Amino acid sequence: MNTARPAGTAEAARSHPAPRQRRGVVRIGPWVSVPVRRSTLVAGAVALVLLCACAVATLTLGRLGIGLAELPSALMGEATGKDAFVLNRLRGPRLVVAVATGAAFGLSGALFQSVTRNPLGSPDVIGLGAGAGAGAAATALFLPDTLPVSVGALLGAVLAMALVYVSTGTGFRSPGRLVVAGIGVAAMATALTQYVVYAVERDKASALTAYINGSLAARSWDDAATIWTVLLVCLPLAALLARPLGIGEMGDDISTGLGSRPGRITTAAVLLSIVLSAGAVSVAGPIAFVSLTAPQIAKRVTRGGGPHLMMSTLLGALLLVVADLAAQQLPFFDNLPVGLYTMAVGGAYLGWLLVREWRRPAV
Amino acid sequence: MTVSTSARPGPAALRRGPAALSLAALVCLVLLALALFASVMFGSKQTPAADVLRVVTGGGDEYLRTVVESRYPRTVLGVLAGLCLAVAGTLMQGITRNPLAEPGILGINAGASAGVVSATAFLGVSGQRDTVWWALAGALVTGVAVYAIGTAGGGSSPVRLVLAGAVLSAVLGAYIQGVALSRPRVFDTYRYWVVGALGGRGFDAAWSVLPFAVAGLLLALVLAPGLNAMAMGDDKAASLGVSPVRIKGAGLLAATLLSAAATAAVGPIAFVGLAVPHLVRMVVGADFRLQIAFSTLVGPSLLLLADVVGRVLLRPEELMVGVVTAFVGAPALLLAVRRMRGPA
Repeated sequence: MNTARPAGTAEAARSHPAPRQRRGVVRIGPWVSVPVRRSTLVAGAVALVLLCACAVATLTLGRLGIGLAELPSALMGEATGKDAFVLNRLRGPRLVVAVATGAAFGLSGALFQSVTRNPLGSPDVIGLGAGAGAGAAATALFLPDTLPVSVGALLGAVLAMALVYVSTGTGFRSPGRLVVAGIGVAAMATALTQYVVYAVERDKASALTAYINGSLAARSWDDAATIWTVLLVCLPLAALLARPLGIGEMGDDISTGLGSRPGRITTAAVLLSIVLSAGAVSVAGPIAFVSLTAPQIAKRVTRGGGPHLMMSTLLGALLLVVADLAAQQLPFFDNLPVGLYTMAVGGAYLGWLLVREWRRPAV
Repeated sequence: MTVSTSARPGPAALRRGPAALSLAALVCLVLLALALFASVMFGSKQTPAADVLRVVTGGGDEYLRTVVESRYPRTVLGVLAGLCLAVAGTLMQGITRNPLAEPGILGINAGASAGVVSATAFLGVSGQRDTVWWALAGALVTGVAVYAIGTAGGGSSPVRLVLAGAVLSAVLGAYIQGVALSRPRVFDTYRYWVVGALGGRGFDAAWSVLPFAVAGLLLALVLAPGLNAMAMGDDKAASLGVSPVRIKGAGLLAATLLSAAATAAVGPIAFVGLAVPHLVRMVVGADFRLQIAFSTLVGPSLLLLADVVGRVLLRPEELMVGVVTAFVGAPALLLAVRRMRGPA
């Protein structure tokens, strides 16, 4: 089992090539100054523009879409009739939830993968989604009127992560164990879910299956408020962790030598990551593989070391908005949960990633 | 599964004495008999052991006879599926030299499910006799894909194959759910089938997959000596006149036949194929002839006992056997993770 690589200087040098790009500095008044590569800024701007374009497409495309000409006035609050309904009830909240949920998944994945130093150490690969699904299903069957399904999902997600943590015996550190333990926990969670889907009547089962796969259909402004609150609280905390996490990726010895405390940073990052993922899950269900793919794409786009927190956040939002656009507009299947699209595409991407990784002679 | 390459790793070193083996075989047979009896005895209607014994030996009154005989199909299915899964697991673990190989974890069951769902949704195929071919096709394609992805770039660590299986399971799962959710009729049959249950199916389910199971089992028995040679390493096997490529190919074919048969008959059931080979190896050692023979005894016992537990636990409701095996097997897997050696 040689998936874990020795963390040392040679490794650090290989995965963090000396930056050739020019560095600029972003300043906000006298308080904040962050060194940023110019290429990263450009990539971020492109992602932002794409995100806006997809958002406009989400609102305007299709039979119920708001006309492109009417969109500015509609957004200013002058929409009436059908347009008002589409904007305020149908697609508006859905879009706002999609942006924040995707961002939360992306950031969560970036934090977790930075700690585990492995694309596979991503919360959705190691069973967080399956646990959330089981929690939701169990609440729907056993406590249908006392507990909201989303709270059940939250509890399930946290329980699953705790179980994975305990059963690896080494915490979240070794990717091999993490993955196998995640598969074991996911198997139990899935069995429970399938039992519930079997035991309840058909309509309820269908709705439950949609939620368990992660769906953005029929979200409300309340959902939007929940996930935006989570995101806005966690983002600054994550920004504080960015620098120590970047040092931590060079290995425990180096980071200790540089005066960092790997243990504490790791714990904080993992907790933050789980809070973000669980918040996103409680609003939209366990949407698969966004937290896996967003940081990986961010890594390739920015072509550098470090945890790419902000880029992953942006790309997570973009990925989910694109996927949801596909879920709403693609003609083959009618209104499938968006999680199925991300699962299919993200799974294929993970497969490609693995094959590429294993072809490399060093591994 | 590391086999020592010291001075003489001949068959003698891998085998237990005949007395110990006969004792083990006796214990396994008694266990199987007990499991069979428990499977016809326990159910939502309580039937005393003495009455069940009378029915089984040809007596008993009309009513009792009906009750007990209604449990025969699921017992037969349990034996068949348990045997198939256990032997498939043994073959897979032997061929891939991977203690975590198993039809469920490696995604073969998901492939079979995808085949069945596609056939019922798009081609209007119905009935066990026709869907089993689709299960087989799906399982075969997935098996090859998992092996190809997991061994890409040479060398295969246990975790790699498991990962490849997990990836394919995820993608196929998305496809299956997508099809099922957009077609309510398919969804309704699918959700009953996907749990993995022995109840609610007739003898037909067993007969239609029997040829596949028998073919897979015969192939496995024929391959056993070759697998023994391969356990000493591909080079040694080649020097003994055994072609590793051929053995691997044929072994994977047999394992796929067996898992597809089990999945088509009773739905995807995980962890039986993982646990049984480990248990059997503890008793009989590394000889594959013995491993396969004992798997055919232990697999059915384990699956039937899991089914009985599921029937008793929520009486008069039932817990499907797939749920029971997951909740027994997954903790075993977690324990195995804790004991995994090395930094990985």
